[in-house]
Amino acid sequence: MRCIQEPIAWKDKAYRLPFFTSSMAIKISGLKRGYGKVRVLDSLDMNVDEGSIYGLLGPSGCGKTTLLNVILGFLIPEKGELNVLDNNAQVPGSDVGYAPQELALYLDLNISETLMFHGRLHEMSKSKIEERGEWLKSFLDLPDFSRIVGKLSGGEKRRVSLAVALLHEPRLLLLDEPTVGVDPELRARIWQHLRTITDDGTTIVLTTHYIDEAGKADRVGLMRDGRFLAEENPLELMSKHDTNSLEDVFLILCKRKVVA
Amino acid sequence: MNWNRIGAIASRKFASIRRDHRMFAFIIMMPAIQIILFGYAIGGSPTDLDVITVGEHPIYSELEESELLILHNVSDLEVAKQQVENGEAWAVIESNGTTLTVHFDASNQQIMQTIINEIKTATQEIYPTLALQIAEPIHGEENSEFIDFLAPGIMVLVCFMFSLILTTMAFVGERNDGTLDRLFAAGVQPSEVLLGHLIAFSFIIIGQVSVVISIAVIVFEVPMHGSIILLFSLGLLLGWTAMCLGLFLSTKAKSEFQAMQLVMPIIFPALLLSGILWPVEALPFGLKEFSMLLPTTWAAESFRSIMMRGWGLSNPLIWKSFIIIFAFGAVALIAAAKSLKVRS
Repeated sequence: MRCIQEPIAWKDKAYRLPFFTSSMAIKISGLKRGYGKVRVLDSLDMNVDEGSIYGLLGPSGCGKTTLLNVILGFLIPEKGELNVLDNNAQVPGSDVGYAPQELALYLDLNISETLMFHGRLHEMSKSKIEERGEWLKSFLDLPDFSRIVGKLSGGEKRRVSLAVALLHEPRLLLLDEPTVGVDPELRARIWQHLRTITDDGTTIVLTTHYIDEAGKADRVGLMRDGRFLAEENPLELMSKHDTNSLEDVFLILCKRKVVA
Repeated sequence: MNWNRIGAIASRKFASIRRDHRMFAFIIMMPAIQIILFGYAIGGSPTDLDVITVGEHPIYSELEESELLILHNVSDLEVAKQQVENGEAWAVIESNGTTLTVHFDASNQQIMQTIINEIKTATQEIYPTLALQIAEPIHGEENSEFIDFLAPGIMVLVCFMFSLILTTMAFVGERNDGTLDRLFAAGVQPSEVLLGHLIAFSFIIIGQVSVVISIAVIVFEVPMHGSIILLFSLGLLLGWTAMCLGLFLSTKAKSEFQAMQLVMPIIFPALLLSGILWPVEALPFGLKEFSMLLPTTWAAESFRSIMMRGWGLSNPLIWKSFIIIFAFGAVALIAAAKSLKVRS
């Protein structure tokens, strides 16, 4: 009996764990990338554990979105090493779910059509899309599926955008400012959900402006001028700098950099 | 009404106009180019018009003086008529001593008028008694009207212009609102995006071409001597080519406004240099050769030939048009796919 069940379990999710002993979802070292003469990312190292939430924190213009675009494979590094998931991973492709900072939704479609469209891109069956849709609807508290996306409120659109990224159950989620314009209660629920899916082995990299929010991540990368000031667990980072807010850590590190 | 505020708004706007060099160039250059093109392209006399003379008459040597006509002498009238039938010449002039009979290809009213004027000028000076008789035209209508010349060209322009604008505009928005990035993140290839758009827009151009042909033929009673299916196919192909070009342009534009700036310099030459408003035979120096590079020139000439001359796909002009217009579209589509990169 056990022998019959095992391959199914293996196929289901366990395969993510044993074969890659490093269990590193993203490993970047010495990354350099800019646009033309403008240097955006320089000598950047990044380590994201599989099945964790990684918070990218930093002022706008520090290179967060550029970094996500490198991870997505849109931007080719000028220098440095980049490993995303494993060699066979489809990135860009069905192994990654991406929610850009812009809502990136077709405003003339309704929610059901939106999910159907994106599901088809990932070659999901109609019934699978509907099943996932129902689940996402209750989870993200989405409005009625017949509503036209263009007529939804900002927060509702943000949730639909998130639903699109989650739809095909990707191994890696890249979320650019996923909680902007979402009320605190829902934000808490979104985080709760992100935590649930990381327990299943999904890796999440998100950018945020809300410093307190980043404190819930397993690891934060404090970014400034195209590199990390620190890359650590937020609690450890706070205790190391003897403070109870990430904002203070950021300020301390910025000052130290200026002095150095 | 506060003039201070009005002044502030005016100077703010002026500052942005001055800063946007492309727009500044666009505002100054475009009207200049349009007027110059218009001056060269429209209203001039068509030149190098092949005309066949049959038999002998002193008037022929007089006609040789014409700067617009190129005379060819053929002894047999039927052979000469066949040449006009095949589009190798515009008219056959036949003389029986007291009367000149002209057999026209009346598919192009401007050219027909030019030839008539040249003959009249030559005869009036030396043989005022010589009668000029216009025989039943080999191609086109006996009482050819300007609209018969214009309609095929305008139909071409409409098929081309709207497909071009439609795709250019539609695609720029998708590149800017992040939706295209999302597709690329899902592993979609640029060629897949382009082909998907082409298929969807095809339904629009099928409707567009049908409406254009129906209105011309039914409402305006433009003569239709050839196959309507052939005409429809060519219109559709032109629409596709325009869409491919539009997709390419939109990959180069950062905003809808820039897209408009890219579209306008294409529509005007297409209008003025493709023989739509005026025969390409009247274009000066290199412009005539240039116009042969435009798909709209081939489409306009073929539309006119299908409608007025009743030519079919076996005619070299028609099948060449299909090939050239298709090739133009294919090149534009490949360029669009190359320009629309996932990785940079």
